[in-house]
Amino acid sequence: MTKTNEPVLHIDHLQKKFGKFEALKNVSFDVYPGEVFGFIGPNGAGKSTTIRTLLGILRANGGTATIFGQDVFKDSVSIHKRLAYVPGDVYLWPNLTGGEIIDLFLKLGGSMHSQKTDDMIKRFQLDPTKKARTYSKGNRQKVALIAAFSTDADFYIFDEPTSGLDPLNEEYFQKSVLELKKQGKAVLLSSHILSEVEKMCDRIGIIRKGEIVETGTLAEMRHLTRTVIEFKTIDPAPELGSMPGVHNVVTQANGLQTFSVDSDHMTEVMDYLAGKQIVSLQSTPPTLEDLFMRYYNTDENTKGGVKNE
Amino acid sequence: MSNRVFAKTGFLTRFSFKKDWLKLVIWTVALAGLFTSVAAKFTSLYGTKSSIDTIVSTLKSPAMTALFGKMPSGPYTTADVFASEMTVFMAIMAAIMNFSIVIKNTRSDEDTGILEIIRAHSVGKISNLTATLIEVFIVNISIGLLYSIGLITANLHGTDINGDFLLGIGLGVSGLMFASIAAFLAQLVDNARAASMLSYLVLGIMYIARMSTDVSRPKLTWWVPFGWVELFSIYKDNNWTPVFLMLGLSIILSALAMWINSKRDMGAGIIATRPGRAHASVFLNGTLGLFWRLHRTSIIVWVIGLMVLGFTYGSIFNTIGDLLKTNPTIATILGPDALRSANVRIIKEFAAALMIVFGVLAMIPGIQIINYLKTGESKGYLEMIHAKPVGRIRLFTNNFILALFTTYLALFTSIWGLQLGGVYSMKHPIGLDIFMRGFYGYISPIFIMLGIAVALIGLAPKLANLSYAYVLVALFVGYFGKLIDLPKWVDKITPFGFIPKVPLHTLDPGTFWWQMLIGLVLIIIGYIGYVNRDINGAN
Repeated sequence: MTKTNEPVLHIDHLQKKFGKFEALKNVSFDVYPGEVFGFIGPNGAGKSTTIRTLLGILRANGGTATIFGQDVFKDSVSIHKRLAYVPGDVYLWPNLTGGEIIDLFLKLGGSMHSQKTDDMIKRFQLDPTKKARTYSKGNRQKVALIAAFSTDADFYIFDEPTSGLDPLNEEYFQKSVLELKKQGKAVLLSSHILSEVEKMCDRIGIIRKGEIVETGTLAEMRHLTRTVIEFKTIDPAPELGSMPGVHNVVTQANGLQTFSVDSDHMTEVMDYLAGKQIVSLQSTPPTLEDLFMRYYNTDENTKGGVKNE
Repeated sequence: MSNRVFAKTGFLTRFSFKKDWLKLVIWTVALAGLFTSVAAKFTSLYGTKSSIDTIVSTLKSPAMTALFGKMPSGPYTTADVFASEMTVFMAIMAAIMNFSIVIKNTRSDEDTGILEIIRAHSVGKISNLTATLIEVFIVNISIGLLYSIGLITANLHGTDINGDFLLGIGLGVSGLMFASIAAFLAQLVDNARAASMLSYLVLGIMYIARMSTDVSRPKLTWWVPFGWVELFSIYKDNNWTPVFLMLGLSIILSALAMWINSKRDMGAGIIATRPGRAHASVFLNGTLGLFWRLHRTSIIVWVIGLMVLGFTYGSIFNTIGDLLKTNPTIATILGPDALRSANVRIIKEFAAALMIVFGVLAMIPGIQIINYLKTGESKGYLEMIHAKPVGRIRLFTNNFILALFTTYLALFTSIWGLQLGGVYSMKHPIGLDIFMRGFYGYISPIFIMLGIAVALIGLAPKLANLSYAYVLVALFVGYFGKLIDLPKWVDKITPFGFIPKVPLHTLDPGTFWWQMLIGLVLIIIGYIGYVNRDINGAN
């Protein structure tokens, strides 16, 4: 990760209202060259609204957003010369073929159909002679992806780009994004597929109800959550359940016990268990999914924030 | 087994009414209100014997026959005048309404995938089509009955109950016939756009066919389905045969549509979409190229269609511009030269009356193109374009340029067609320069009308379809205003009311410039609105 440079994307307290509804209340994050930034959140949290604002399609009501140091609304044309975008729902003119649309997108961006384009068409296995009305959702996404990947941009925005792709094409997508990263490009990837984000993203921003609730690397975020531990000791460990930071102690039928522990209380718990003569111990690090679910479940159960639970 | 293909038809019909109720109410109120209010006005307009005689001699002229249909033989009453003036126009309105509802509920819903979700439930193969046909049946018959009630209430001199019901129900059934035509054609092609174009193409051919049979061989009008509405012989013989013919054709076409619908795949048509190019052509190189490509077919159809329409009108110039036919003694009074100039004057009058038709028809593709900034936006097609280094100013300007070009080109070809028709039919044809006065005169009011469309796109995209409504108002005022003697101020509610009668007169530079200025201001307003507003997505 090369964070020494200026950020490609800089968002500071971005706000957007639709009538009285506050779609974005407070969105702030940066994306740097050479990094893949994962942007996650449930439906309606404001991911697409944020991205549309970044594209200058929507006009922000407050805060600032700059790409390459330029204002996203006023300087959209010059920003878009160095930007490629793939929306989540790709709508293509039904009476044009995929090949025509790819070429059109390239020409509009000031580039041409190149060897790279042909390679991408081959990689994603698209038939470019078919009219767009005959394409499935996945094939429409491929059209937009091929056009984006064969564009020589500095900043790539993908809004749930793989929701219609099969696992094989998803793999090709991930491969293509990693190639971009190697070339030092900045990528903003909004996704629901958490395994994909976990695998590809250097840093992650979680948005909820129009607010960024957390940003950081996955490793940093794991500190905020619990590790699940499965163990067996020779001596019983009755005090475990009452130790600070320990939750959900369950004894299984096979004699193994499991519990989850807050990351910042790990040391005390390990010391305690070590004194009980450990036979076996297995720890499962929290997945992004655990993290994600906790952020959103807490909202429903109104148990309060994750950190102070 | 057979009831399975109709499963849930009743439910879908109710659902369809629930979904379309506002649209249906607006159409019903607008059509029935228009029909009834014109009827109510007629007693004061054509209540006296002399006023009836004057209008009948006009309506009997070939020019008016071409526009409104053939008058039955006399003697004439107020009611006869009403029936012959309104029938063809109301039938066209019925066609527009039914085409839009049927194609929306069948092909469009299939295109967008809504129908797929519906069909995934325990719904029959042709339930949706049947539900749509039931819906339009109820709507058309209701509108027809409202017409009849309106006629009975207006109680024009010379009406009878049988005729009132015949005219009302007949127009209602004509709507049903147009609905079944659209339903049938929608099965042949595999997308809503093509279905819509094909339907209007068929309507246009039928309109021109009935026009030429009316003028030359009225008996042959029996062979044109569109002509059946003229053959009721209202308040004379009250002939119900055409109504049954229309019903019969509706049943046949509906059955055919259902049969094809039950056999074909979802999303397919008899005429399939062919594969296309793997690469974009050199013309598809930017937003202007894209807009051209998207509207290409429709532009060509409109331009050629208007030329054909113009030519058809022009080809009856010899019958219109021949005073000798209506009044043999006139030659001796006027002398040959004066007779010729009187004939030319009549043709110019006729051309002036046609200009509003040409103008309105030419504006429709133009507004369609302008409104694409809205339809393309809400369908999500333009989102990828907005993410490219293409400024909104370029998108806006390119779109408007294409719209202007299309409208003015279509207007020109209609006038050119008119002149060519004259060349073909007249011994001493009138030069194109005379007809071109009509073109020049219409430049400025059309500029304002398109300016309004553009301003709506920029300021209130949700109201974009109001532009079409305003155009229809212009057609009604310009085409009918004279016949039903609307108050003077009504003429001034559209920009066409301010220009001199062209090509009878030449364009007035003063009017031209202030109208162009207003148009320009509207365009700038639209531009500022478009550049600063949010672009809405498909979701």
